[in-house]
Amino acid sequence: MSTWTPSSYIIVNLARQIRPEEIAFSGVNSTLPMLACLLAKRAYDFHYTYINVAGGVEPQPTKIPLSSSDPAIVAGSPAIFANQDFYDLCARGGLDLVYLGCAQIDAEGRTNVSVIGSWENPRVRLPGGGGAAVMLPTAKRVVTWRTEHSSRVLVDKLDFVTAAGNMATLVTPLGVFQRDTRPGARFRLESWNPDFDVAHIARQTGFAFDAAAARPTEPMSVREREALAQLDPEGRLSGG
Amino acid sequence: MTLVAGLRAASYGVPFQPVGGVHGSDLAALNGWQTVTDPYGSGKEVYVIPAIAPDIAVMHAAEIDVDGNARVYGSPFWDHVLTRAAKRVFVTAERLVPTDVLRAQPELTLVPGFMVEAFAVVPGGAWPGSMHPYYDVDYPAVEAYMKDEPGVLEAHLAAAPEKQDQQQENEGRKGKSEDAKEIQ
Repeated sequence: MSTWTPSSYIIVNLARQIRPEEIAFSGVNSTLPMLACLLAKRAYDFHYTYINVAGGVEPQPTKIPLSSSDPAIVAGSPAIFANQDFYDLCARGGLDLVYLGCAQIDAEGRTNVSVIGSWENPRVRLPGGGGAAVMLPTAKRVVTWRTEHSSRVLVDKLDFVTAAGNMATLVTPLGVFQRDTRPGARFRLESWNPDFDVAHIARQTGFAFDAAAARPTEPMSVREREALAQLDPEGRLSGG
Repeated sequence: MTLVAGLRAASYGVPFQPVGGVHGSDLAALNGWQTVTDPYGSGKEVYVIPAIAPDIAVMHAAEIDVDGNARVYGSPFWDHVLTRAAKRVFVTAERLVPTDVLRAQPELTLVPGFMVEAFAVVPGGAWPGSMHPYYDVDYPAVEAYMKDEPGVLEAHLAAAPEKQDQQQENEGRKGKSEDAKEIQ
């Protein structure tokens, strides 16, 4: 067995998507990406810019709030860049990497955060896009995550298309999927959590995917482990 | 973001607002959103969102003066566009301050008093949410409220700061909001 927990696997692999000099953004209900962005600041030597939905630019919070939109996350920011500012930045092509959530996702990286069942007769009414319909097509790359990897989440056909566009990466506790952001390109498995195998992942996934180039995910580095321990010393957010 | 676009249209005094993105989303057909082609010849097709003008905007400010000039610290979130888009603006505030406090740093005043129809001083008014820089989110209160069982709403209302203050006053002890009351 590896030392990954489902949450630590997601956090670290979300952090690994950030590239040098990028401008990255994390939103509401996004505690795992928030931790990933703060982890990347500590564990990697390159510079990048982190903007948080609470309005913080390069925040240096003294405590990690349970909610990723808590104003406590703004602490230490030299600038406030509020809601409309970061949406506009995204719309004009200025956000390199955006973390956007999903309830369902398909092989082409389209997302549903609107409804399970039909719009007129829903089984579950979901919170809604929160800007996803604007951000997914206008961000240069979008990364998403789910703590549940199942065929009701990774689906062949969405119940509703909330947003479509530049989805690049999907991280679950089982593996990391990547796709080109051109229209029609499908997710392929890039790496898998060594606690599982590709056949298991295929059984848990509602769409077919190419795994020819996949390999086991690199273990957590010493610096990634140290950064996570600093950010979440009691394992409240990354322990399970 | 499409909601912001609708609010912006209202605040700009125009019937619709172009917005980036939306292409490929089922939300466009569902809401009847239309596109326009750039009349200046780029050939780009852009979604336009109809104006949304709320009848009333209610916002919570950090400080307010007798004329309704309202100050917010930290991120303004949606307060700016909401107060400009709405037909009427009501403000609650943590505390009343002398106008000279606002004169010293007018750039911190998010809503000028002439736009504010009415205000109330409500210490703890954002509870169980946070009010920067006075207090953080009351996570235990939020978690207790999310339980799906009888009596949760009543217990939540009874735990509100003003109820706690009342109780403390009744018991003859000093309340947490004593400072704010002195300023009033």
